[in-house]
Amino acid sequence: MPFFSHKLMVRNRNNYNMQVKSLFVAFLLILSLNMFAQAPGKPLSAEGIKGESLFKLNCASCHAMNAKLVGPALQDVHLRRSEDWLLKWIKNNEKLRASGDKDAIAVYNENGKAAMNIFENLSDDQIKSIIGYIKEWTPPVKVGPVVGDPAEADSGFFSSSTLYILLFLIVILMVVLLILRRTKGQLQTTVNEVDGISVIEPTEPTAAQKRNAELKKRSNPTIVKLSIGTVVALSLALYGYKFGATEIGVQQGYAPEQPINFSHKIHAGEYKIDCKYCHSTVEKSKQASVPSVNTCMNCHKGVQAREKYNGEISPEIKKIYAAMDYDPDKPNGQQFGANPKPIKWIRVHNLPDHAYFNHSMHVKGVGLTCQTCHGPVQAMPVIQQYATLQMGWCINCHRERNIDVENNPYYEKLHAKIKAEKDNKSSNYSKYYTKDGKINVSAAQNGALECSKCHY
Amino acid sequence: MANKQTYWKGEDELLRTKDFLASQKNEFHEALPLDEVLSENNLGLSANRRDFLKFFGFSIAAVSLAACNKTPIINVVPYLVKPEEITPGVANYYNSTCGACSAGCGVTVKTREGRPIKVDGNINSPVSGGGLCATGQASILSLYDTERLAGPQKLKDKTSSLVEWSAIDADITKQLTAINASGGRIAIVSGTLHSPSTLGVISDFTAKYTNTKHITYDTIGYGGIISANLTSFGKQVIPSYNFDKANVVVSFGADFLGTWISPVEFTKAWASKRKVDSLNKESKIIKTIQFESNLSLTGSNADYRFPMKSSMEAIYITSLYNAIAQKAGVAQLPMVKSGELAGSAIKQSAEALWNEKGNSLVISGSNDARVQTVINGINLLLNNYGTTIDLDNHSNQFKGIDADFVQFATDLNNGGYKAVIFYNTNPVYNSPMSEMIVAGIKKAELSVSFASNADETALECQYIAPDSHYLESWNDSEPKAGLFQLTQPTISPVFKTRQAQESLLTWAGLATKPLVDPFANKTILTQKAEASIYYLYIKNKWAMMGVNSDATFNQALHDGVYKINAKPATTPAFSANLNAIVADLDKITINANAVDLVLYQNVSIKDGSMSNNPWLQETPDPISKVTWDNYVSLPKALAEKEKIANGDLVDVTVGSKSIKGLPVFIQPGQSNMTVGLALGYGRKGKIGEKGEFEAIGKNAFPFVTYSNGNYNYVTNGVKITKAEGNYELAQTQTHFSIEGRDLVRETTFNEIKENPKAGNDKMVPHLYTLWETKDYKKDGAPNHHWAMSIDLNTCTGCSACVVSCNIENNVPVVGRAEVRRRREMHWLRIDRYFSFSNVNKVNYEADLFIKKDYESEKITKEKGLEAIDNIESKKADKATYDHWENVQVVHQPMMCQHCGQAPCETVCPVLATTHSTEGLNQMTYNRCIGTKYCANNCPYKVRRFNWFRYNDNDQFDFHFNNDLGKMVINPDVTVRTRGVMEKCSMCVQNIQAVKTKAKRERRIIKDGEVKTACQRACPAGAIVFGDVNDQNSEIHKLFMNERSYRVLEELNTQTAVKYLVKVRDTETAKKA
Repeated sequence: MPFFSHKLMVRNRNNYNMQVKSLFVAFLLILSLNMFAQAPGKPLSAEGIKGESLFKLNCASCHAMNAKLVGPALQDVHLRRSEDWLLKWIKNNEKLRASGDKDAIAVYNENGKAAMNIFENLSDDQIKSIIGYIKEWTPPVKVGPVVGDPAEADSGFFSSSTLYILLFLIVILMVVLLILRRTKGQLQTTVNEVDGISVIEPTEPTAAQKRNAELKKRSNPTIVKLSIGTVVALSLALYGYKFGATEIGVQQGYAPEQPINFSHKIHAGEYKIDCKYCHSTVEKSKQASVPSVNTCMNCHKGVQAREKYNGEISPEIKKIYAAMDYDPDKPNGQQFGANPKPIKWIRVHNLPDHAYFNHSMHVKGVGLTCQTCHGPVQAMPVIQQYATLQMGWCINCHRERNIDVENNPYYEKLHAKIKAEKDNKSSNYSKYYTKDGKINVSAAQNGALECSKCHY
Repeated sequence: MANKQTYWKGEDELLRTKDFLASQKNEFHEALPLDEVLSENNLGLSANRRDFLKFFGFSIAAVSLAACNKTPIINVVPYLVKPEEITPGVANYYNSTCGACSAGCGVTVKTREGRPIKVDGNINSPVSGGGLCATGQASILSLYDTERLAGPQKLKDKTSSLVEWSAIDADITKQLTAINASGGRIAIVSGTLHSPSTLGVISDFTAKYTNTKHITYDTIGYGGIISANLTSFGKQVIPSYNFDKANVVVSFGADFLGTWISPVEFTKAWASKRKVDSLNKESKIIKTIQFESNLSLTGSNADYRFPMKSSMEAIYITSLYNAIAQKAGVAQLPMVKSGELAGSAIKQSAEALWNEKGNSLVISGSNDARVQTVINGINLLLNNYGTTIDLDNHSNQFKGIDADFVQFATDLNNGGYKAVIFYNTNPVYNSPMSEMIVAGIKKAELSVSFASNADETALECQYIAPDSHYLESWNDSEPKAGLFQLTQPTISPVFKTRQAQESLLTWAGLATKPLVDPFANKTILTQKAEASIYYLYIKNKWAMMGVNSDATFNQALHDGVYKINAKPATTPAFSANLNAIVADLDKITINANAVDLVLYQNVSIKDGSMSNNPWLQETPDPISKVTWDNYVSLPKALAEKEKIANGDLVDVTVGSKSIKGLPVFIQPGQSNMTVGLALGYGRKGKIGEKGEFEAIGKNAFPFVTYSNGNYNYVTNGVKITKAEGNYELAQTQTHFSIEGRDLVRETTFNEIKENPKAGNDKMVPHLYTLWETKDYKKDGAPNHHWAMSIDLNTCTGCSACVVSCNIENNVPVVGRAEVRRRREMHWLRIDRYFSFSNVNKVNYEADLFIKKDYESEKITKEKGLEAIDNIESKKADKATYDHWENVQVVHQPMMCQHCGQAPCETVCPVLATTHSTEGLNQMTYNRCIGTKYCANNCPYKVRRFNWFRYNDNDQFDFHFNNDLGKMVINPDVTVRTRGVMEKCSMCVQNIQAVKTKAKRERRIIKDGEVKTACQRACPAGAIVFGDVNDQNSEIHKLFMNERSYRVLEELNTQTAVKYLVKVRDTETAKKA
C-alpha cells in the first residue's frame, strides 16, 4: 500500500472515489460471469453420483447421453422404455432378444447388429441408480474442445480451474475493497480535521449502536483477528490441498499432437480393427505396447489412401514409409531401407514409476474392455487420456468390480470358503452374497486395495 | 532352558569394552551435527527474526517456483521391426555359462527388452546345480562397466588411442607373419581354457603360426594337485570330488565351500549331505573336519575346526597318513618330525576317516605337489578313489601348471618370445614375477592383450583387442570331462569389442565363413550370414564331436548343457614313491616361533579380477564382516603380545618384500602364530569414493612365493611391525548388539537323532499383545500366506544371496565411508555369531560385574566408565588368549521377518508400512515421509533409510549414477529416492508376476513357482519360500518341522520367516 501525502490525497479525492466505484462494478461483473459459469444443470443427488460413476465404468465406453457412439444416445431413455424392460435389457440383452421381445430386436437391428455387453454382474439397485443418473442428467452448457496442449485441455473459459482463479481474484478484490473503504474513512476524517469540519457526534446512540458497542467491549480484537485469519488460512489451505490433489500431475484430456496424425476413429471406429491386432502384447505383458512399425506396414504397404489425395500417397502414410525407409514404388525390391528412423510417439497414458500396472491382468485376467479405462477410443480422431489415472480412480474400480470367484480356478479356495459361509449360514454371508443369493465378491475384498499390489 | 553358549558378534561385545558400553547407551551412532549446523553463519539461528522471515519467505517462493515446471513430454519409441521373441514387459531367459571364473557354472540369464538384468544358476548344470556364488551373480555388472574399452586400442607410453579393427588386424597379422617367418616364438598366455572350440581356435592359430606356444596361467594355481596326480597316477588333472558321497571330510586349509576349485558345486553337494530330517539311528551327515590357519568359510561351517600353523601342514598330513596306515596295517612313512594338535585332532580324524573307509575324503589347500601326493596316498589307503574322488571323469576347471608359467616368464625376460598375446589373464598385477613380465613384454616385438578393461598387463602391451563380455559371446566349455556347456550372447556387444576367438581366427587368416551348414550339409541361408564366425566354428567343432543335427544342438543350447555318458570311476594304480617324497618334505625347516603369513581369497573378491565391481566390494566378508578393504587378520594372542589393537596400521615384511600401512583386524579363530591377508586387492578402479582412481586395499600377490615347481601361499617367518596411524575398517558386523538374546539355536547330531526337538525345546513365552489380534487367514481371502524358511544347518554364509538380492531389488551401493556410518542399504544381511568352543575356560562374568551394573544403570556413567578402566588395566596382564583361536560360528541370514504383528506398522504416522492379507509387511515408498520410527521400533533392525538419492548423486560414483550402469536396474522394482525407508519385500514383484500369470491362465499357483532372489541364488538350498496356507507345500512342512523356530518369538511378532536349528556333528553337547 503506497503512502500518499495528505495534499495529494485531497486533490484526487474524487478520482479516488471513481476508482473504487469502477472496481466495484468490475467485481459485480465477474460475480455475474461466475454465476453464469456455474449454470450447467442441477447438481446430482447422492444416488445420481453413484449412478454416474457406475455409468462411466460400465456404459460410457459405448454410450453417450446426447450422441450416438457404438450404442444409441441414452438421454431420456427412461421415457422411451419401461424400467422393467431396461433392467432385463441391461442385464442380458441376448436373453431378452432370444425371448422374442420386439423392442429388443428392433434396438439390435437399429444399431448395426452390434451386440451390447452382458452386465449380469450389476445388481438391480446398481442399474436403477444408473437409470437414476440418466434421469437427472442435463446437458452441459458448453464442452471444451479437447485438442492440443495439456494446459489447453480444459480450454473452456468456464472450466473449473478458471472458476477457482476467479473466486480467488474475487476474494482478493474484496479484501482490497475493504481496505480501501477503511482508508477512505480515515482519510475523510483527516480531511475533515484539516478542513476544520468537525464531525458532529450524535447525542444519543441508537439501540443498534449500543448493542454494537456492547459487543465490541466484550470481544477481544486480537482473538477476532486471529479467528478471521485462521478461517482465511484454513480455506486457502483447503483450496491448496484440493488443487494439489485433483489438478497437479493430472492429465485427463491430454491429447498431444503426435508425429503421425494417426486416427483411432478411422482404424478402430470405421474399419473396426480389433485393438489387440496392433496392441498385440496386451494379453501377455504389463504393457499394451505401441505397435512396432512393421505392424503398420502389414496393411499400409497396400493401403495408401491415394483416392483422397488426388492419386498421391497420403502424407501421413508417407511418414510410415519414411520411418521404414521404404520405397513404395519398388515394392518388390528391398523390403525395408538401410536408414530407418524410429517414430517418437508422445506417450499419453503415463503412470508414475512407483505405480505398477499390468495390462494382461486386467484384459486377460479380468476381461475388461479397453474402453473401460481408455474411453471411446474408436471415436477419437486424436488419442486422448480419458480417465484421470489417479489412484482414487483405480481404487474405485477395485472396490466396485467383482472377481470371478466361481469360474476362475485360481480362486478355488476362496470359492470353497464362500460356499461354506452360505452352508453355515454365517454372519459373513452378506459380505459375499447379494440379496438374491448370488456370489458378490469385489476385488477389494480379495486384497486389491493393499499397497503392495501396485507399489513395489 | 538357558542358552548353552554365549554368542557374540565381535570382540567389543564379548569383552564389553568401555567404548562399546558407552556407545550402547547412545541413541545415535554418531553425535548429531547440531553444533555444526547452528554455528554456520548464514543459516544460524543467531540470525534475527527479520533474517529468519526473509529466509523463510525466500525458501517458500523458491520451492513453489521450483515446483512450477511443466509436465515433461515422454516419448514412446516402438521397434521398427519387433523381434519375434521379444514382448515388451516380459522377461526372456537364456541358458549360458558363467564367465566370472573358470569353474564354469551353468547360468540362466534373465533379459528384459534385450538387456541382461540378472544371472542365476542353471538348474540343469551339474556344476552350478541351480545356485550361483556372489562373484558370478555380480559378474553381470562387468557388462555395464564404464571402464570397459570402447574398441581396439593402440598404446604408446601407457596412453591408448582408439583405432579401427581393420587397422590393428592388418598391423598384427603383418607382424605375426614376419615373426613366424623369421623363426621367432609366439606365446599365447591365458587363464584355464576348457572350451573345445577355443582350444581348437588356438590349435588352428598354432598350425598357421607354427612357433606358437600356449601357456596356461591360473591366478590362484592348483598346479600342486595336477602335478601330484601326474606323479601318483600318470594323469595330469584335477579329479572330480564327490562331496555328496562322503560321510566324513577332512580338509587341510582347503576352503571348498568358499573359494576352492568349484565352490558352488561343492556347496550343493555338501549341503545335500547335511539333511537332518526324518533321521534314524543309522543316519549320517557329512562330518566336516577342518585344519586351518585363517578362519575360512569352510572352517566356520565345520563340525570340528582345528587351528593349525599352515607351514606345519606337511607334518600333520604325514602324521595322519601314518595314523591311518597303522589302522590299515601297512608301512608307515619315515617322517622324523611328527606333530599332533591339541585335542589329539589327528588321531580323532584318522579314527573318523577309518570308520567311513570308502566314503570319506581328505583334501588339502596346499599347492605343494609333494603334500598333495601324500594326500593322494591317504585317499588311496581309505579306498576313496572311485567313490568320493573320480579321476576318470576329471575336472578341467583349472589346468595351469606353475612351472610352465615360470619358464615362460623367464624366457620372456630373456627375449625368448618375439610376440606375446594375453587372453583372460593379468599377470602384471597378480603374478609375483610381475616385474620380470613387465620387462619381458618390452623386449617382445609384438604384445597384445584381449583385456576388456585397460588392466595392468594390457597397459604394458602395444595393442589391446578387447574381448567381449561373456554375456555378449558365443562359446562352449567342458568344465568336467564329458560335460559340455554352451555360452550364448544375450545382448549385442555394448562396445566395439570382438571375441578373442574371432580375433585369433582373423589374425590366422581363418575368419572366413563356412559356406555349408555343418549339420545339415545345407548351404547357409542368407540370414545366417549374420551369425558370427565363431558361432559357425563352434557348430563345426560340435559336428566333429558327434552332434550332427540342429535339433540336438538347439536342445543343448536350450538346456545349456550337453552330457555324454560318464565313464565308470575306477581306482587307479599308484606309482609315486612316498618314502622319497616324505624324506624330501622332512628337510623343510620350519621355525615354530616365527609367524606364518597365510594368503587367502576373499569369498566375494576372489582373485581380484572383478575388483572394480562395487557389489562385490560392499559384500561383507562372511567372517570379519569387513567391506571395501583387505587387512591383516591377526590372532588375539599375537595382537596382545605385540600391543596392536584393531584398526592400527602395520607394516608386513617377508624377506625383502614389504607392504606398508595395512590395517589390522583382530580375528577370533585366527590360529596363533599365523596372520591372514587377502589377495585380490590393491587394484586401481574408478569406484573410489569420489570417482577418483584409487586403489582399494593393498596388493598381496608379491608375497606369493615359488618353490619346488609350485606357487606357495604360505610363508613361514613374517614380520609384523606396528606403524604410525590408524585406519577405520568399514565393518558391518558390530552395528547392532545382541543384548544377550536367544537368536540362534543349535544342537548336535547325536541329540537330534534321539529327540527331533533338540535345541529347540525352549519354553514358549506367555504371549501378550497390546493390539487386537488379527487373523489374516480368517479375515481375508484364504488364498496365500507367503512365508520363508531358512535352514541354519545348510546355510554356509557364502553371501551369494546378499548380492542376488541387491541386483534383483535395485539396492544401492553406498561406499566405504557410508558403511562406516552404518548406512549400508543391504536388504538381506548375514549375521555371524561367534561362540567359544570351550566356554568354561574363562569366566568373564566374575570380572565384569561392574560392567553389568553399569549396563543396568545401577551406577552412573562416569563412575561406571572409571571402574571399567581399572578392570581393563588389571586384566591385560593376567589373561591368556589361547582360546581365541577356537571359536565356533553360526551364520544367520537376516531380512525383514514380515511379522504378522509388526512393531513397525503400529508406529508409522502415515501408514506407509502396512500388512497385506497375504502375510506381507508392505512398504509403500511414495507414502513414506522418513520419520524412521519404524526402523527404531523394528526388533530385527532390517529397515534401511535412504540418506541420499544414490541413483543420481555423483558422490556415489559406483554404477547407479551413470547411464550404462543403470542398464542393470530391474524395471519391475522402484528405484527409491532420498528420504524413504526400505526393506525386504520378499520379492513381491515375483509374487505378483506369478499370481497374474496364474489368474490369466485360470489355475492355482504351483508350489515352488514363486522364488525369491535369495532362494534362487543359494547353492545350498537353505532358503525355501512358499505359501504356508497350501497344506502340501514344502514351506508348510518346514513350518511344522520340529527344528523350526522364530527369532525373538517372545515378542509375539508372529514372523513369516522361520529358521531351522543348526546341527553340528560333534560328539557331546556342551552344558553351560
